Amino acid sequence: MGEDRALMIEVINLHKYFKDHHVLKGLNQKVYKSEVVAMIGPSGAGKSTFLRCLNRLEEPSLGKILIEGTDITATRTDINKVRTEIGMVFQSFNLFPHLTALQNIKLAPINVRRMSEKDAEERGRQLLKKVGLQEKANAYPDQLSGGQQQRVAIARALAMQPHMIFFDEPTSALDPEMIREVLDVMDNLAKEGMTMLVVSHEIGFIREAATRILVLADGCIIEEGTPNEVLKHPQHSRTQDFLSKIV
Amino acid sequence: MANIKQTPIRESFAKRYRARFGHLPWFKRYECLIPLSIIILLIGFLLLPPLGKPTPLQWLWIGVFLILLILWVVGILTDIEKPRWIRAIAAISFVFVLGFFFYRYSGAQWDKLTTNFFNLSVMEGLWGDLGQGLLMTLKVALVSMCISLVLGLVIAILRSLNNPILNVFLIIYIDFFRAIPLIVLVVFVFYALPFLGIELDPYISAVVAVSLSYAAYVAEVIRAGIESIYRGQVEASRALGLSSMQTMRLVILPQAVRVVIPPTTGLMVGLLKDTALTTIIGLPELLYKGIQNTIWQSNPTPLVAAAVLYIIVLLPLTRFSGYLETRSKKWVKTAR
Ligand SMILES: Nc1ncnc2c1ncn2[C@@H]1O[C@H](COP(=O)(O)OP(=O)(O)O)[C@@H](O)[C@H]1O
Ligand SMILES: [Mg+2]
Repeated sequence: MGEDRALMIEVINLHKYFKDHHVLKGLNQKVYKSEVVAMIGPSGAGKSTFLRCLNRLEEPSLGKILIEGTDITATRTDINKVRTEIGMVFQSFNLFPHLTALQNIKLAPINVRRMSEKDAEERGRQLLKKVGLQEKANAYPDQLSGGQQQRVAIARALAMQPHMIFFDEPTSALDPEMIREVLDVMDNLAKEGMTMLVVSHEIGFIREAATRILVLADGCIIEEGTPNEVLKHPQHSRTQDFLSKIV
Repeated sequence: MANIKQTPIRESFAKRYRARFGHLPWFKRYECLIPLSIIILLIGFLLLPPLGKPTPLQWLWIGVFLILLILWVVGILTDIEKPRWIRAIAAISFVFVLGFFFYRYSGAQWDKLTTNFFNLSVMEGLWGDLGQGLLMTLKVALVSMCISLVLGLVIAILRSLNNPILNVFLIIYIDFFRAIPLIVLVVFVFYALPFLGIELDPYISAVVAVSLSYAAYVAEVIRAGIESIYRGQVEASRALGLSSMQTMRLVILPQAVRVVIPPTTGLMVGLLKDTALTTIIGLPELLYKGIQNTIWQSNPTPLVAAAVLYIIVLLPLTRFSGYLETRSKKWVKTAR
């Protein structure tokens, strides 16, 4: 699918060990521009580890990872530069508690992109507006609800104008009534053509927004396909089993 | 027909008392505490010896008095249901009695107190000299504070790099300077290093010893602060493309500072106090001046004056560090 589009991520035979615990067992994957790839699978399957290897928050043990053609496992690669092209949104938000919402967003553009204070400020406010929080610019994280914090975290990731964004269970730390506001923001990003890797069990969102689903279990991709294929007609028994538990 | 009302039998006083206070153990009850107060007062007024050295029998009465008094005070203070004023009286009278006993039976010659401890005529012309000493104390303390804070911060940051080889040296430094008594270090720097050809005057020796020693403590406090910052903060920062040094400077240290300031202030108070140890190498600081003038005048009033000056400088600082401590506890509570 989409082979005419730019290849954003290519993973070749990726293995990850924690000591002698084999967590990722030879994953291969290609992600093209503007794809929204949802990853599902039981807890401990290796979904987070997979995402974190892609921007080297975890060191891959074996295999090759190409981000927009750059081999990030090569020693000569400046990983900080690659990371600026990858936004990351965490389950626990991880906003900087000593900075306001706007300062959280401005930090990386100013210090990494060397953007001027004024431009960063302007972009920060635009992004806050985009996630519906323009009036919260000067609020500190502990003055925001979980849903608001996660939206600021998304704005913070967007401020670097990344070419792709990874979401690691962005709504699983949220109270139910706040999940929608975060998913709406993500929905809009998908419609704008952002390349997204999303670990999530929000089936409604996946059905709506995802172009492809990967099912991980025990460090292997046991099944992949369009939402229609995987959600309606799961082939693997473990997928059927897993889906019956979460739907 | 007149209604014959049954008048309820009034509950007896004893019954009501038991309902109100019956759950208390015997030594907290009024029927124990009130007779006890009377016995204590009787012993106090009739059997306790007057000022002077007590005989063994009199010591026995003093002991009995104190034991009963402690029982009485414990009975009152451990019972939060007792009215505040009763507990206040108990606490105050206990402290008062202890002071009074010290005054009466310690054998001290109290008539000499004012002439020897608070003799202002001795102090004439000495305040300036003591002031010089205080300035020297503050100078050594301030310079050592600056050096130890910077050095400690550098060590803590290097330590957080988790470089195994570097860590060996840093840990040796920290352990060595935390294990060696400061007074030994001061003496060593001043009296032993000259044998290697390193001759430092008392002022430099004092600054070197105090700074090196306190840098080790500061490093440990700051490292604990850095390690208390949640791991996700580093990951979020690195994922945005910030380098490890930027992450330290922009994300970790600003948060660690809040955690670290109260214990560091406490350390700095300790540093100021410990400068008194450098008196042993003849540094003319406050304690040294106090001792010297005490010897010259054959009267310890200068020493008392030095002690008072220490307290005047340190009391606000200890209060301040205590205040920071409680405030940071509140902050930590609201932050997470
Ligand atoms: N830092 C780590 N050290 C050791 N083991 C880890 C670490 N991170 C994850 N693991 C292990 O790797 C496996 C996969 O974890 P993870 O990728 O978080 O799973 P998922 O996100 O799919 O729930 C789990 O068994 C987990 O215990
Ligand atoms: Mg996970």
